[in-house]
Amino acid sequence: MKFSINWAQKYSNVDLKAISPDQLIASIGEQLGAVEEVEDLAQKYKDVYIVKLVRVVKHPDSDKLSLCLIDDAKQVKNVKRNADGLVQIVCGAPNVKVGMLAAWIPPGAIVPSTFSGKPLVLEAKKLRGKTSHGMLASPKELDLSDEHEGILEVPAKNKQVKAGALFGSAYGLDDLVIDLENKMFTHRPDCFGMLGVARELAGINNQQFESPDWYTATGQKIASGFDSKNDIPSEVPRFTLQVVKGIEVKPSSQEIQNSLIAVGSKPINNIVDLTNYYMHLTAQPTHAFDYDKVKKLCAGKVSIFPRLAKTGEKLQLLTGKTIELTDKDIVIATDKQPIALAGIMGGKATEVDSTTKNIIIECANFNMYTIRRSSMHHGLFTDAVTRFNKGQSSLQNAVVLSKLTQAIVEDAGGKAADGYDSNPEMLADHWPAIKVNSDFVNSRLGSDISATEMASLLQNVEFSVAVKEKSLAVSPPYWRTDISIVEDIVEEIGRLYGYSKLPVELPSRLIRPVVKNSELQFKQDLRRILSAAGANEVLSYSFVSEKLLTNCGQDPSEAYKLSNALSPQLQYYRMSLTPSLLSRVHQNIKAGYSKFVIYEINKTHLKSHGVDSEGLPIEMEMFSLVYGSDSKQHPAKAGSAYYQAKAYLDHIAQKLGTSFHYQKLDKKPAYQVASPFDWQRSALVTDHNSGNTLGMIGEFNRSTARNLKLPENCSGFEINYKQLMESVGSLNRYLALAKFPSTTKDITIEVPLDYCYGLLAGYVEHVIEQLAAKQPLRISSQLIDIFHKKSAKSKNITIRITMSNKDKTLTSDQATAISEQISKYLSDNIQKTDS
Amino acid sequence: MAYLDPQITDALDSLKKEFKDLKDKSAILRSPTIKKLFSEIPKLEPSKRAEFGKEVNKLKIEVTSWLDDVSSESDKAPIDVTAPFDLNVPAELRPKTLNASLGSIHPISAELDYISDIAYRMGFNVESSRLIDDDYHMFTSLNFPDDHPARDDYDTFMTTDGLIAPAHTSTMQNRLLKKYKPNLDQGLPIAAIIPDRVFRNEDLDATHEHTFYQFEGIYVAKDVAVGNLIATLRTFLSEYFKQDLQAKIQPFYFPFTEPSFELAIQRPDSLKKGDTEADQWLELLGCGMIHPNVLQEAGIDPREYSGFAWGCGVERLIMMKYEIDDIRHFQSGKLEFLRQFS
Repeated sequence: MKFSINWAQKYSNVDLKAISPDQLIASIGEQLGAVEEVEDLAQKYKDVYIVKLVRVVKHPDSDKLSLCLIDDAKQVKNVKRNADGLVQIVCGAPNVKVGMLAAWIPPGAIVPSTFSGKPLVLEAKKLRGKTSHGMLASPKELDLSDEHEGILEVPAKNKQVKAGALFGSAYGLDDLVIDLENKMFTHRPDCFGMLGVARELAGINNQQFESPDWYTATGQKIASGFDSKNDIPSEVPRFTLQVVKGIEVKPSSQEIQNSLIAVGSKPINNIVDLTNYYMHLTAQPTHAFDYDKVKKLCAGKVSIFPRLAKTGEKLQLLTGKTIELTDKDIVIATDKQPIALAGIMGGKATEVDSTTKNIIIECANFNMYTIRRSSMHHGLFTDAVTRFNKGQSSLQNAVVLSKLTQAIVEDAGGKAADGYDSNPEMLADHWPAIKVNSDFVNSRLGSDISATEMASLLQNVEFSVAVKEKSLAVSPPYWRTDISIVEDIVEEIGRLYGYSKLPVELPSRLIRPVVKNSELQFKQDLRRILSAAGANEVLSYSFVSEKLLTNCGQDPSEAYKLSNALSPQLQYYRMSLTPSLLSRVHQNIKAGYSKFVIYEINKTHLKSHGVDSEGLPIEMEMFSLVYGSDSKQHPAKAGSAYYQAKAYLDHIAQKLGTSFHYQKLDKKPAYQVASPFDWQRSALVTDHNSGNTLGMIGEFNRSTARNLKLPENCSGFEINYKQLMESVGSLNRYLALAKFPSTTKDITIEVPLDYCYGLLAGYVEHVIEQLAAKQPLRISSQLIDIFHKKSAKSKNITIRITMSNKDKTLTSDQATAISEQISKYLSDNIQKTDS
Repeated sequence: MAYLDPQITDALDSLKKEFKDLKDKSAILRSPTIKKLFSEIPKLEPSKRAEFGKEVNKLKIEVTSWLDDVSSESDKAPIDVTAPFDLNVPAELRPKTLNASLGSIHPISAELDYISDIAYRMGFNVESSRLIDDDYHMFTSLNFPDDHPARDDYDTFMTTDGLIAPAHTSTMQNRLLKKYKPNLDQGLPIAAIIPDRVFRNEDLDATHEHTFYQFEGIYVAKDVAVGNLIATLRTFLSEYFKQDLQAKIQPFYFPFTEPSFELAIQRPDSLKKGDTEADQWLELLGCGMIHPNVLQEAGIDPREYSGFAWGCGVERLIMMKYEIDDIRHFQSGKLEFLRQFS
């Protein structure tokens, strides 16, 4: 929403020019809404001068260029002049002629149209051998309109407009234009007009604003006699029309043009400009149709009215684009066809042009939700949409239509003829006043403002307020459709009073500890353990491509799919974290990181996991880790990559005081989480204690590895961290410290090549427990080696037993006896399982 | 698979033989037999090229699929998944975790932890958000009517099932107001922050991400006033920047707060660059008094209780702190970026 100080000043009793721009902008920011941009037009046009063309001759070496000598009354310094003090310009415009006034951008000045973007600074330049000192500007270069066929012809309308005058002052463009963030006013239909913002500026400066009389005269009667109807009052709360006959279409007055230019609206002709002018002033959009063009589109009597479109109907818009309508669009139509997309844009077929003699002015109000839906559907975002979708007051229709009609007749001549009003009896005061107690307002603001002061703050912006002790009966003015509840009144009072004046105080609090979120704490514990183990935490997108899913063997039909993804790269909610991590492996190896461990803790979503009590997809809380190393860093002798991932999982178990069970698979598990893993080189991870399944660990599919360019040595795991969290602390590993010297014995057991180490480890644990239960022994074990002689059918596992007696020193014989007992137990059991 | 061109059928047979004998099975994709077929294409009559080319590609896909079939019965020896290391691995080469100095926690996780710690100390619970939600929690429960223009400011991703990728952590407000409502009956406030991931349908550039983090805060009790909001956030941010900072609010608009504000704090010394007016204040977050409709929707009487809420972006705080130039680094998975954090 662009707000022009010059324009607002015409309607404000507050001297806006007397307030310094900085102060004005600061107070708007503090008490009205965020300022997006401030455009100082005085700066933009400060170097542009009005000049007179004294001589114009053809350029000797060009058919199209002219050599012009211009007179600027010697206002510009440092420019090369001829003996007569005139400046030479080379100009390609067809409309240059001796004696005309034009706008000159001298060397060293910025071309105004480039002022807010990348500024283009002119310099003296040779064109076909002749030097041009700056340029004569087209309306486009001056940022006045899109017109660039010729240079701007400056009309000598008064004494100020003469050679040597500053262009900005002559055109009333010594203005400050403040662009307020539209978002701020989502609930303020009135603030999309100069009047609304000017009123607020008075309010925040503690002054009483007075709207023009015509604006508050809601009892205005519209002429009747024009044939129309409104069958859809829920979509069109009010529909008013006015016919004006015998008008002359011409450029609008300089004053109207300047106002529009200041707020970035390009002047077109007097009729269109006036409709735009009153929209920018009051926030009420209007539209003018060419009466005679409408007549041709009527089968019977001339008539237009609002209706819902029929699906499939077509309409060519003002921009030339033809759209296909649906039954959710409101249109303005004749008895034959739609002629405008209501509240959004007029139609080409009934456009006002230079030949127009008679017009129908439409001023209506539309259902804000319907307008927004249509605007989104057709991708049309116009000034009218911005205003209508905030919910304008229907009371404004007759007010603005009457004023606009008057302005058009004054400017374009002609005579107001027939009109139409769907709700001629609509009145302002049918809303009950909102009752609010000043204590309530003060309790919400933490302030101590008296009821009368509150009333005066509201009255300044034209609320009517009746005060009775602490009770206020507040009636908002008709344009404030946003005020409906007491909290709205609290906001108005707080804002107009000034938030910066409110007392600031912390809420009081009981001494009571907050219970920490155990899940979040656990995640952080996990991160600390992993980062202390050299792993790097990664966060990656929750959305992945179909290609990544299929590369990892996952089924995209199981994934939630976005209907409006930014790109195919971000089309699906991920079903597990591992694919995201795997997609980061190659880039890091390529970047020179030859060995690393990355992990992520995040949520995943999968259709087959079903829904929760709210009917929403269950969110899986997962933790995935991937080890990657290029072959140089991973000598063949170090064995399979699987064990690298396992080293991390065992490390985590040890740190968390738990232990995991690794279970060999006999077929590919039917889980999406398991899909990237090569099942024959993977294991199911379960919690040793509870037996709960935690997830998968292993190496990856050949195809996955190939598609994602994974190195040969790559492995990882993905487990459910909520399950993991439950198993934490299930194991007490504490072993009392040895008081007597300990003895070690190595036991080497021969087992079949495919024998599980885990089985043996279980027996070792068991026998140690048995022995320690019977005797006062302290025994621990450690795996020393797993050796396989080439081509042998068995392997040797060596375990070191460390033992001591809790009461005395263990003798060598005793130690040997214990070790033999263990050894025998193990052999017996291995044979048992083997046979 | 059947091929029309006998030349390709022959090639398939010879490739099958080659594959059987190959040690490194993936070398089959580089076989001269395939290369030769590709080199045949330009020699053919133009009319036949397309058909032949299609068949060669089909053949290559078939050959590639052989690699998947052997993926598991690979040349690698089977492993014992229960062992801590592989057969015959010498002690010094056995797997172990990497050097601690290489490790890192993601700067966003670290930041959320830091923020949560302040929240706990100030008496706030810390909660997680959902990453997939519905229209009711994202909009309706927060006083956004259907088709309301306020929805325009939240470019939300939708799923084909009509679900929503939340565009703000406020998607949890209704749930948490309900969850902690019993607090009010015990004379305790509802006080919680929600630091988590949100999504906006926005094109990526150095300062815009479609996936980013916010932390939401809610506070509800009896007689909560605007001044309490300012004081709480000021205290929070002073603690965050480890410096006593002034705060000010400016009017703003959100459908779920009334009145709504934007809060700015005095720019902390650590982030001071110049001395202009713009350098004095840092606009940090949106906030406001919780709209009565939002309280009502959670079963809390807005005449009896009032409260405030705020939402603050996390990446910008981190970017300012470390002078990070590009928001895209956060989710890039680049070790060059990640290893700079501890």
